Amino acid sequence: MGMSRAMTGDGGRSRAMTGDGAHPDRTSPDVARHRLSSPVCWLAALSALSATSMLRAQETQLSESAQRGKVVYDKWCMECHGETGAGDGAAAAFMLPRPRDFTRASYQIRTTASGELPTDADMRQIIDNGMPGTAMPAWGTKLGEGERNDLVAYLKSFSTFFEADAPTPIEMGRQPGRSAEGLAEGRATFEKLECFKCHGDAGSGNGPSGPTLRDDWDFPIRAADLTQSWTFNGGSTVGDIYRRLRTGLDGTPMPSFSDVIDAQVITDEQLWRVAQYVRSLSPEEPPRPRDVVRARLVTGPLPDGPADSAWDGVEQYYIPLVGQIIQKPRWFAPIVEAVWVQAVHDGSTLALRVTWHDRSSSPDPEWDEWLAAMAAAATDVDGPLDAVQGPDRLTIQFPGRLSGDVERPYFLGGDRQRPVYLWRWSSAPDALDEGAGAGFGRFTPRGEGGQVTHQARYDEGRWQLQLTRPLSSSDSTRAPSFAPGILVPIAFFAADGSNGESEARGAISAWYGLYLDVPTPPRVFVLPVVAMVLTAGFGVFVVWRAQRRESGRSTSEES
Amino acid sequence: MSRRLRETLGHPFWQAVLLMLAAYLVIVIIGWVSAPVPRTVVIQYMLSALVGVLIFVSDNEQRWSRFKEPIQRTLVEPERRRLRGALLVLVPALVGFVTFQQVRPTVSAPAALRSVHPASPVRITFRGKAMELATLENSLRASGDLAEHYAAGKRVYYQNCLPCHGDLLDGRGHFAHGFNPTPLPFDGSTIAQLRESFVFWRIAKGGPGLPREGAPWNSAMPVWEDFLTQEEIWQVIIFLYEQTGLNPRRLGVEGEGGHE
Repeated sequence: MGMSRAMTGDGGRSRAMTGDGAHPDRTSPDVARHRLSSPVCWLAALSALSATSMLRAQETQLSESAQRGKVVYDKWCMECHGETGAGDGAAAAFMLPRPRDFTRASYQIRTTASGELPTDADMRQIIDNGMPGTAMPAWGTKLGEGERNDLVAYLKSFSTFFEADAPTPIEMGRQPGRSAEGLAEGRATFEKLECFKCHGDAGSGNGPSGPTLRDDWDFPIRAADLTQSWTFNGGSTVGDIYRRLRTGLDGTPMPSFSDVIDAQVITDEQLWRVAQYVRSLSPEEPPRPRDVVRARLVTGPLPDGPADSAWDGVEQYYIPLVGQIIQKPRWFAPIVEAVWVQAVHDGSTLALRVTWHDRSSSPDPEWDEWLAAMAAAATDVDGPLDAVQGPDRLTIQFPGRLSGDVERPYFLGGDRQRPVYLWRWSSAPDALDEGAGAGFGRFTPRGEGGQVTHQARYDEGRWQLQLTRPLSSSDSTRAPSFAPGILVPIAFFAADGSNGESEARGAISAWYGLYLDVPTPPRVFVLPVVAMVLTAGFGVFVVWRAQRRESGRSTSEES
Repeated sequence: MSRRLRETLGHPFWQAVLLMLAAYLVIVIIGWVSAPVPRTVVIQYMLSALVGVLIFVSDNEQRWSRFKEPIQRTLVEPERRRLRGALLVLVPALVGFVTFQQVRPTVSAPAALRSVHPASPVRITFRGKAMELATLENSLRASGDLAEHYAAGKRVYYQNCLPCHGDLLDGRGHFAHGFNPTPLPFDGSTIAQLRESFVFWRIAKGGPGLPREGAPWNSAMPVWEDFLTQEEIWQVIIFLYEQTGLNPRRLGVEGEGGHE
């Protein structure tokens, strides 16, 4: 099995180098010719012919360093990357993107040209720092320097390609200074290079090619969400982004744009501008989750929809979501990685706006082929994936009863003893159910008398959902009343129908808190004034007494 | 200049001011090098320092009257009217500001009072079968090949535990950031202080099996008896200890946590 994987692997590599694995929408003959002319390409084709004999060579010719590396690999890496390095370890089926298949010597993050091998330093960099946005952790603190070097030696032994001369990194040049005009030029080049076809016009990863994207192993792969630089596999600085634009991400549909510079379609500086523009789509610092979402008290009217500009000034709270892996069927490949929550109230009504990224408004027939690929990739985890697209979903969970007690319902849907109160929204039909939950998936709709209103909006790869409800409940046995000044536990669940997700197979959050600001009590202003008056009065009294005594002393001295 | 400085340093009033400043600096430095000092504790220390300084300046009559002299002059002398006026404005303003800081409404989540390793129950039921935790032992330690148990446990770990507890067994897997409390790290000394039967209970019954003081409603630890067999749990326990190089605490064995 491992042997045949490796052989098709080598074949796949030479295919990739003839341009077959390149960007699906860029089929310029120039590009193909450029790739064919590479001498490495011919070497690759030759190597593929004699893959079996070379594999045998690998077993006998391990260097001492590689032998030590094998010990480290077998202890720490094998269960994901597989005994033969084919990326097919026991944990592989529980991850998307899958672990790297070393037998193809095709590495995403490099400093070398597209189709070239990585340098040793490139491989060390990934081992040391890991790959954000994937399951690959940073090993720099766990393994010693020597162990990590030995690992590189062993990883290289998985492919005969590394017997060729060491590759040389590309020339990076220097980043031009940043400016508003530079960003505008970056945007123009972004459009010229058609980055939006995969990454979306606003960079949310929702381009029209999205459903067709596959890696060289035929697994579905998502275009990066350019507005979340902390999930970029190969680093988030402008330099990191520029380097990836130059080198491409081998094994994925992300091409190299070096040939576009060589063909003088764009300049090197323009590519730097693209990198700067892409970086500008994300905040400077990655968002940090905070325990409490604060709903400010507003005096004017509440926002009247998710597109209302009144929301622009309201603070956003970042709530990370992860796959539901607690109850069957578990879900290891969630699409929704976070929701951003905003909240305001006017003393009688609460308004929430929840924003999250989702590449489609499900169900969307365009995404059927994506779902089919997901279903093929996810078969062995807790039963097959539903092959019919459901709607997109967002559920907000509160305790069924609000008390000052520290005890809460179980964060994953409550239970019979301690039920939860839910707002369940789905995209198709666009509807919201209010009701009670007594365990994950055990939902009883409230039926008549619901008080929650909602408005949903899908735009540029993201959902925005506004929800409003009067603070006081019309029926406290079915829905709790909210009150300012009390911390209300709140949790979020999301599902992307086009990814085969449902309520159980979706993304979940822990309990957070929602706090409705109280009107500032008068004592906040009165007490400081009282303290100031008292202190000032005391000071004046002390001065007055000291001066009286002094004048008394001087009169008595005079007499 | 230096004569004036010497006079100032020799004056009990300025000595008292310097002593109070020094006391405050010491507290701040302690806050840097060890844990941050709570504000109430700072106030308490400063009050003690003030009492000490007052005892020092009132220790003899001459020093006491020299100490009082600049205060008295500021209170009465016509040349110092400006300073007096400034103090009468600034001190109340400062008091007002401090009071506002105290009464201003702030919001934070209540401290999570949670016992990480609460006492285990005497007995549990595993898939309907009663088990006495006090006498429960890892049956695999006495039978079969340890390397095989390790390999099997490793597979169990990577297919089930990895997303939260991580490749590095540091509790920082790629899903860990979504949960609160965060998953337990195994690479510290914690699991060396636990008996294998305790670990078995925590895995088999998960978060919902915690007693109230463990805040079972917040824990994302699944109930693994729904997923894993008894043998698989013992295998993954062997993996945890082998991979981290730690030993479980055992009954009656000295040096590994001592007697129960």
